[in-house]
Amino acid sequence: MSHTFANGFNAGRAFIYATLVFFALLYISPLYIILTTSFKDIEEIRSGNLLALPDEPTLYAWIKAWGSACTGSDCNGLAPFFWNSIRIVIPAVLISTIIGALNGYVLAQWRFRGSDMLFGALLFGCFIPFQVILLPMSILLGKMGLANTISGLVMVHVIYGIAFTTLFFRNYYVAIPSDLTKAAKLDGAGFFSIFTNVFLPMSTPIFVVTIIWQFTQIWNDFLFGVVYSGSGTQPITVALNNLVNTSVGGKEYNVDMAAAVIAALPTLLVYVVAGKYFVKGLTAGAVKG
Amino acid sequence: MGAIDIINVTKSFGDTPVLKNINLNIKDGEFLILVGPSGCGKSTLMNTVAGLEDVTSGQINIAGRDVTNLSPKNRDIAMVFQSYALYPTMDVRRNISFGLEMRKVPKKERNQTVDRIADLLQISHLLDRKPSQLSGGQRQRVAMGRALARSPKVFLLDEPLSNLDAKLRVEMRMEIKKMHKRLGTTIIYVTHDQIEAMTLADRIAVLSEGIVQQFGTPYEIYNDPANRFVADFMGSPAMNFIECDIEDGRLIVETDGQDYKFEVPDRDVLQKSGLKRVVLGLRPEMITEAKPDQKRQFTQEISMLVEETEPMGADTMVTGLWNSTEIQGRVSPEAGHAAKLNDKHTLLHVDTSKAVFFHLETGERVR
Repeated sequence: MSHTFANGFNAGRAFIYATLVFFALLYISPLYIILTTSFKDIEEIRSGNLLALPDEPTLYAWIKAWGSACTGSDCNGLAPFFWNSIRIVIPAVLISTIIGALNGYVLAQWRFRGSDMLFGALLFGCFIPFQVILLPMSILLGKMGLANTISGLVMVHVIYGIAFTTLFFRNYYVAIPSDLTKAAKLDGAGFFSIFTNVFLPMSTPIFVVTIIWQFTQIWNDFLFGVVYSGSGTQPITVALNNLVNTSVGGKEYNVDMAAAVIAALPTLLVYVVAGKYFVKGLTAGAVKG
Repeated sequence: MGAIDIINVTKSFGDTPVLKNINLNIKDGEFLILVGPSGCGKSTLMNTVAGLEDVTSGQINIAGRDVTNLSPKNRDIAMVFQSYALYPTMDVRRNISFGLEMRKVPKKERNQTVDRIADLLQISHLLDRKPSQLSGGQRQRVAMGRALARSPKVFLLDEPLSNLDAKLRVEMRMEIKKMHKRLGTTIIYVTHDQIEAMTLADRIAVLSEGIVQQFGTPYEIYNDPANRFVADFMGSPAMNFIECDIEDGRLIVETDGQDYKFEVPDRDVLQKSGLKRVVLGLRPEMITEAKPDQKRQFTQEISMLVEETEPMGADTMVTGLWNSTEIQGRVSPEAGHAAKLNDKHTLLHVDTSKAVFFHLETGERVR
């Protein structure tokens, strides 16, 4: 350990960095292969090197994956399913986040007899495996007339998400001194005006965390999507699966790869845009008065 | 206008009683201090007056109106919290005007009120800042400003100064007293600091274990305590408590190898009580250095072996043993210094004209 370099680095440190770089490359290599493959044509994939950059980059695979690839018997690409996912995710994220915020606000600041028990019971919802509720939920959706509909999927995701969103908001709001609520009560504010005037304005970090979490969960969901959707209401994850499993002629790896990236793009985008809040929100619990 | 009647108020959390049958009548414009050790129920009592906690039984009237079941906002009160509880996302202006906003006061009027109060509290230059950009003392002022904005019938102050440093605390204490003089609004003020209680209050209610031990003026509380708890809690350094035998209405005190018989004004009370032993309560300032021309009734010159001296600046505390109990006297710095040198046997002057007596077991006053 005494091999100190002139610039302050030593051998141990160099080893650490080398290891980090190695694993970073290892982790990013699948993404690299997916991206390069998606810009190659099928000839080059068959003949060329897996790791090589495309000789003649082409958008053919992307255009096909988006607009004309076959998913089962339809050949309209991923586009309709992308919009299905959007139509599921946006209401499901917003509704579950708002309910979670209100739940958390009540459980943290308006305690009542048994509120801690209720919170415990809600937490339990985080640990229920998806598979357990598949059958009862499908019966319920059928009875409600929501089977195979977008609204049905939204409802399932909202119900499943409430446990998590409540947990996030409750733990955030529990760190806020109850004197604030008391002061606002004395100032004449009611339940909702305290929420909107005092609590909402300081909730940006936790909203970002919850929205990222819920967006990722719901966008990436496959199981609920494949079970509860009809032919016209499938989310993009289900369509991607169908696209990859449908082969007319030979396997078009470049189209599969482009489709995979299209399906993953929105979650990536959400992380890039709001990622710094994510870390901030998870670590910074307390709001100092 | 802002009189408060607390009638038979009881409060329990589950099976734990926190307030036991509290009765207090606070006159309009009075400055009442609730004082007691932590956990005595003083904050709970204030919260019940504020309406932040329900009472288990009893009634609370503000200005002659029964408010027991009214929500906090309908009680016409304002409160200053120990933590200040300023809204962190609002600037100072909105913090002060929020109560008015919630009460649908027009914007123009709100701004006038804020400007007037900011002027009063000398925080006009801070109106656009967020609470996180303020110092402790400034936050305290803003919290006061928020309470003042609505011109309520009653102010409730819950240990408002306890987060300030010692110097600022004394300053703000003075300001609160001046403000009370100027506004004449009824104030209930919770503190555990007995000096704050003595300096600010018109009347003090001493609480312990959910019971009002004594309710009276600072003078009464200090000089005529209802029981040993009150006598011990109020005053710093604390009152001396010495177990003594009674002989013919006089108190026998042994110190420095000598027995003294203390004459007290309440001689007949002691005789009538039939007690053989009693706890003598004597404040440190009644034990001073001997001065030749100070001999009066109910005074005594004694010699004490001074074991410890604590200079406090203006005075020096001297510690010795009376009847094997540690006691403190308060002497001049010079006398304290001399006591240290003088083989520690020191002549002291004991004034028993304000001595009080307590039952050995119950701690109640012998009257």
